[in-house]
This record gives sequence, C-alpha cells and structure tokens, in this order.
Amino acid sequence: MLLSVKQLHTWFQHQGRTIKAVDEVSFEIARGETFCLVGESGSGKSITALSIMQLLPKSNLKRHTGEIHFHAQDEAPVDLAGLSEAEMQQVRGGRIAMIFQEPMSSLNPVFTIGEQILEAVRLHFPELSEGEAWQRVLESLEAVQLPDPQTRVHSFPHQLSGGQRQRVMIAMAMACEPDLLIADEPTTALDVTVQREILRLMKTLQQRTSMAILFITHDFGVVCQIADRVGVMQRGKLVETGDTEQIIHRPGHSYTQALIAALPENLARNQPHEQRADQMPLIRLSRLEIHFPVRKGLLRRVVDQVRAVDGVDLEIPRGEILALVGESGSGKTTLGRGILRLTEPTAGRVAFDDTDITEMNRSQLRRFRRHMQIIFQDPISSLNPRLSIAAILTEAMKVHGIGENQEARIEIARDLLDQVQMEEDTLWRYPHEFSGGQRQRIGIARALSLNPSFIVCDEITSALDVSVQAEILRMLLDLRAKHGLTLLFITHNIGVVEYVSDRTAVMYQGKIVEQGRTEDIVNRPSNRYTQQLIAAVPRVPV
Amino acid sequence: MSRTAKRRQSYWRRILGQTFIRWGARLGLLWVGILALVGVFAPFLASSFPLLLSHEGVIRSPVLNYLQPVDVLFLVAFITLLLLYPWQITLLRKFLIMLSVLAVAALFAYLWVKPQQLVIYEQYRVADAAGEYDWVVYAPVPFSPKDYQRDRGDTGLEAPLSQQSRAHWFGTEQNGADVLSRMVHASRIALGIGFVATGIAMLLGIIIGGLMGYFSGVVDILGMRLVEIFEAVPTLFLLLTFVAFFGRSLYIMMVIIGITSWPGYARYVRAEFLRLRKQDFVQAAEAAGLPLPSILFRHMLPNGMGPVLVAASFGVASAILAEATLSFLGLGLVDDPSWGEMLNQAVQSSRFNWWMAAFPGGAIFLTVFAYNLIGESLRDAIDPYLSKSG
Repeated sequence: MLLSVKQLHTWFQHQGRTIKAVDEVSFEIARGETFCLVGESGSGKSITALSIMQLLPKSNLKRHTGEIHFHAQDEAPVDLAGLSEAEMQQVRGGRIAMIFQEPMSSLNPVFTIGEQILEAVRLHFPELSEGEAWQRVLESLEAVQLPDPQTRVHSFPHQLSGGQRQRVMIAMAMACEPDLLIADEPTTALDVTVQREILRLMKTLQQRTSMAILFITHDFGVVCQIADRVGVMQRGKLVETGDTEQIIHRPGHSYTQALIAALPENLARNQPHEQRADQMPLIRLSRLEIHFPVRKGLLRRVVDQVRAVDGVDLEIPRGEILALVGESGSGKTTLGRGILRLTEPTAGRVAFDDTDITEMNRSQLRRFRRHMQIIFQDPISSLNPRLSIAAILTEAMKVHGIGENQEARIEIARDLLDQVQMEEDTLWRYPHEFSGGQRQRIGIARALSLNPSFIVCDEITSALDVSVQAEILRMLLDLRAKHGLTLLFITHNIGVVEYVSDRTAVMYQGKIVEQGRTEDIVNRPSNRYTQQLIAAVPRVPV
Repeated sequence: MSRTAKRRQSYWRRILGQTFIRWGARLGLLWVGILALVGVFAPFLASSFPLLLSHEGVIRSPVLNYLQPVDVLFLVAFITLLLLYPWQITLLRKFLIMLSVLAVAALFAYLWVKPQQLVIYEQYRVADAAGEYDWVVYAPVPFSPKDYQRDRGDTGLEAPLSQQSRAHWFGTEQNGADVLSRMVHASRIALGIGFVATGIAMLLGIIIGGLMGYFSGVVDILGMRLVEIFEAVPTLFLLLTFVAFFGRSLYIMMVIIGITSWPGYARYVRAEFLRLRKQDFVQAAEAAGLPLPSILFRHMLPNGMGPVLVAASFGVASAILAEATLSFLGLGLVDDPSWGEMLNQAVQSSRFNWWMAAFPGGAIFLTVFAYNLIGESLRDAIDPYLSKSG
C-alpha cells in the first residue's frame, strides 16, 4: 500500500465546542490507484487531505491523532504523523503533491509560470544544473499538453485561461514526480468541456507515471469518470468505501443511498407539460442584443463592443420551464438580466404578454416589475444582511400595494414561508442565521411575494449540495404547478435540465445555437457545439 | 419567540458586540466616556463658584448664575441622549430627534440664558473666609479655568500639591490658573472639534462618494477629479491662512478640517457602492421595483458604512491632533484653554515645568490612542475573516 490512514482524528475547538471535522477515518490507497473522497460540503473531505499533508491550522486544533503510513518507492515506510516539520517539507511537494480548486489564487500573480515551476523543481532536485532544471520545466509543461510551452513558460498567470492555469498547477505538482497527488476539487471551477480535458490529462499522466491520486469532489459524475475506488464521507466519518461500480449501483450505507437517489439523473422524471399550441407565448424576445462598450484612453472613447448577447430570438410559452444552458461567458446570465431590464438591452425587443418592456420608461417599468422576478445563484449575497426576513419579504409588497397594512403583509409573508417549507419564526431572524439552502428558500419566497407570472432562476442550485438541490428543485416544480409560473431556468448542469425543464435553449458566444424540447436536445443534439457540450458532461450511468 | 428578543441579533448589534469584546476597544470607550462626562459637567466639576451655599438660611447655587448658553446646550444634549437610549426606534430617527431638540435648545439658550456679566472669582472665597455663610459646597476643583491667581499676588507656576491651603492637584500655569480646571474645560473643545469636524467630513463624503458610486460614468469621473483636488489641499496651511484672514474661531476650524478631510470617506463610500451595485440583493431590490431612495438608503448605505465608520474613528483622532497642533503654534482660540495651547505655554516658560507638559500632553495622547483603539477593533469586527464569533 502506498498510503494507509488509520484511525485519523482531527478535532477543532471553536467557541468552546468541539468540532469533529475528521473522526475515526481509515482508508488505504494503492500505488497507481485513484481514490475518490465524496461528500457534501462540511463533510471533512478537505480536512482529511490537509491532515495527511500536516497542513492544519495550529491555533484551534484540539485533537490530531492517528497513523498515516506512507510508503514511497525506494524508501522506507514512514508515519507522516510522527515526522518533524523539516522532514515533512521533504515529503510535501516531493513525494506528495497537492492541487487546489481555484487555479487563479493558487498561483502567484507576480511571477511567470516558468519561474514558479522552476522554484518547485530546484527545491526538490538541488543537484540539477540551471539548464537541466529549465529543461525539466519545459518537459512538465509539455506533459500537461499546454499549447506552445516554449513561449507560454514566460507568461503570467493572468494571461492564461482557467483550464490552462489548472494545467500549470498540475505541471507544478508533477514536476517533482510525486508518488501521490492530492487533488482537492480541481475541476469544480471549470467548464464541463475543460473539465473533461483536465480529467483525461490526469488519467494519462497517471498511466505514465503510476502515481496514485486522492481525488476530492462532490460530483458523482466526476467520480464515475475517474475513480477506481470511492470513499463516502458524512460529518467527519467515512461511512462507506468500495469500488466505484459498487458504490454507484449498490450503495450499502443509507447515507450513500440517499446521496445517489438525490442526483438529478435519478429523480423521478418531470411529467412532460402538455402543449397548448393555441396560447400566446408569455415572453417573446426578438433580435435582442446586449453589448458592453470597451472604453480606452483619457477620453474614454469606445474602441470595441463585447457582444454578450448577440441577436437572440426566443419564445417562452406560458406555464413552461425553459432551460438556458451554456458555458461560463456564453451570455446566459446577461440574457436573463436583459429580459428583466436589470441590464439595459442595446437593441431588440422584449415582449411580455404583448407589452413591450423595452419601451417602458422608468416609473412604468418599476410598476411592471411585480410581474417578473429573479432568483439568484449565490445564497450569501442575495439577501441584505441588515434586514430581518420579515422586512425582506414585505418591503416589495408595500411598494406595490399588496396587503392593506403591515399585519396583512406579515400574514402573507408567513404563508409564503410555509410554501417554501420554512418555520414561522424565520420572520424575525436575520439572513446570517440560515444555511445556504434555507437562504435559497427565502430567496424563492421573496420572488413569490409579488405574485409574479415569470421568474428567472439564475443557477439557483449551483452553490448547493445535491440533497438540498433535489429538495429545492422538487419544491420549485410544486410551486410552478400551484401558481402557474413560467420559468427561465439558467444552469450548466445537464442533469438538472433534464429533470426540471420542458424546453431547452443552448447558448454559445451570445447566440442561441439550438433550441427545442429538452428530450431532443439532450439525447439527439443536432448542433456541433451542443454535441460537444452534452458529450463532455460527466454522467452517472443510470 | 418575542420580537424584541430576536431584534438583538441585528447586524449593528453584532458588530458592536464584537468590537467591544476586545479589551482595547473597551478601554478606549471608557476613556472617551469619561471625557464626555467631564466635558458635559465641566462647569460643576471645576469652578470658583460654590455649587451650593447657605446664606442666612437661604440656600443658593451661585454656579448657576454663571452658566453660559453652551453649558446649557451640553446638558440638554446629554439628558436627551440618556432619554433616547432605551427607546426602541431606529438609529436614524433617534439622530433626527436629537438634532431637532438641540436646535430648539440652542435657540432658547441664546435667547434666555444671560450669565452674570461681572465676574469676580474671589467674591465667594473672601466671603466664606469672612464667615458670612452657614455652609458652602465647592466644586471638586474649586477654581475656574480663567481664575488667574497671579492677579492677587500669587506667583503662578506652582508645582502640583506644593501648597497646603490652596491645593492645585495638577499645579498652576504662569498666570496662576489651575491646570486641572483648564484641562477639564478644554476636554469639550477636543471632543467637540473631533465630532463636528468628522461629522461634516462624513456627511460630505457619503453624499459625494455615494453619487459617484451609484451613477458612475461621468459623475464618477468629475467626482474623482474633485476628490483629487481636495486631497491636494494641505489642511494645516489652509487653516493657518484662514486664521490669518478671519481671526481665531473654533467654528471655522471645525468647518475647515471637515471640508478638507471628506475625500477619504468619499473614496471608501464610492468603492463600497461600486461593489454593492453588483450584489444580488441590490439587483433583487431593483427587480422588485423598489424606488431609488429605498435602494440607496436601505439596501446600499447600511452595508457600505463599515469602512466609513472605521475611517471616522481615526478621523476624530486626527481632527483632535490638528486642533492641538494649531493651538500649540499659538493660533488656536484666543481666550479659552485647549490642550494644545497648554502645551505651548509649557514650552514658552523659561523653566521646564513638567506638570504643564505632562498632563495636557498625556490627555491628547490618551484620547487619540482611545479613538485609534476603537477604530482598530471596529475594523477587525467588520472584517468577516477576523471575526471572533464566527
């Protein structure tokens, strides 16, 4: 065994309470194997990795015990837990390397990528000459398939894309030929097509060097693509380990079963919405353009336009859910805000039930806003931290004259909270007291408070764990049916699209490249880009 | 769960709670609190006139006859503050009530409070020594700040507690006035100039910075140029010029310090507004069709106030220092004592009299230090990464 962790405990002391971040965790990783740790946020996956690396914050550590036997090639086995800091530094980066989720903040912005890899190389191979070390840097960049490594080696981190930065991080980790690579959610911040390439790259490198990978993720799709064996963590405990195939298809532990069942791929399918062809579409976009001027120089002259939304024609039938998918930067969020005129369209028309929104003046628009609402991605920033939930919910009602007095509005707010399955005493509390999923429910209640007929849902479940996501989606479908809502559902998660939407539109570089019934788009995409996108999505075989 | 119990969770209560968990901030607040009390009750703490006396069976309070309109105003402000504190209304409303009460009180005070014009400091002491009164209650420091003992043949420059009969705790200055009494009365100037000057600067900074941040574009460009122009003005030299032209006045000083130090606040508010503009909850407020004032004052301003308050507590400290510097240069107020001016006196006398430098200097140091401590803790409390109760 390359690494065997036995009875690892990592406890923290926080405000007089003991938090068992890692509790009695034991697992083993063989040479050349990929072991995936999966679990929801706060389950202790990252802390387990940091415990192995001995990189824990010392200040509030309460208990850190256990054996971490590491048996590198041509070396005697050691217990990492017993090593001194100086000895551990030899292991870190040399025998065990680590890559992180956010490639921008893990690279130093003031050095070129070549200099940063060179530093790592020189630290671990001091015997190499300047030329040899530099050669090694170039080789490592070639190994991670960075295009044109001879010139790229001199670029700074900000000159590279997210995927390229992650490649550089991997090159840096690989430069010292580690026996174990710990990857902490390395693809979470990347688009699916880039993610597929990075995962492929890691597999290739692993086959070439026979290193082991400890891969931390929350995404079962990714697990299916890369893992040989899987460990499922829940609240600091490793509840189940096994082969990937076995965990996905025959999970033993009840928590694993619940997790797998909550995947959007496994949720009971949405009944197809019956077509009512005679009805007018609720939202109709014609040749909608949203351009952002690029200004330069002293006089701030417009030198170029960023065409975020570039001539979009789209219809959303009343009572349907239209999913808008696309990679980051494709303009889907801008389009969503453009429909609500939160971002002013440059040209084109947005018709809402025959009323042209683009022609309204400020005060007309403000009155009209009660018919269309938005729910945001980030549950942290979407609620004003200074206002109580009661104030957040009733404020807009008051402006639009809903409810006769404050008591009546509070009563409505209470009812809304009930609909999103929140307790009544939520009203008098403040946003910081709630979890991400709860805040998202409050965000939904706020959107519903004006009784709108159209809601833009902008990546509302991307920041949530799968089980919470499943609950929110189920609730949203119920509310849709109850209130007869029309939704524009912006997302990048194809599983969610399949579960929730009636129709799908695919966006690429500001244009809609394909639209149609969700079934058709997902199973029989006709556009080339859509085909690539669908193929790149890591799927859990059902 | 009752409504008031839950109220305690609100953001500002949390921030203040976290600020004053820290010992530095508590000590700072304690010192500022003591200073404020001393400032409010200065005429009763240090005065040559007895607080109470009984003359042929009639009880009188001579100190009341000599109260200035300003003294009355300070007392009214203090009492209003005490009454308002437990009242459950918003901070803004409290502030407005406070302002209107002060305006009315100022009007009445200047119309009706007529202090006795002829001031003879020795009057009551002489009469008391002659045994005219049944009993007399003196102030804790029984000398007024301008009660110059040298006029009656005392030497002045007495060291602290050097004489048995007329004990001066902090000694006397060259004219024979009591140093402690002068310090007590000067604490008002220190506090007043700090709060008023910073208040003016904050008001200007928030309005201009807010406009720049919310509207951006041309407004922002023009605003930033204005900020740069004002940042280039050296406050001290402008103050010197104004003193030369318009004479020495506390109010001019406050205004000048105020209108030269707003750019810092404007920059903070602008940056915060630019950030908040993109926040989802502001977008949500806009999407809900809320009117502009509500978006600006309910959703953006309270969330952007953190850095401004931190800057303000440092600003108070630097305004106090500016006044002290000016007074030390001999360009402060003509007649009224201030800490800086007392330091100036200490330097000018032929011999080094430690008590004249140590006490006012120490007071300036402690006050500036106290505000800096509060500012430091406030900054830590607002920074989510450093928060003590996660």
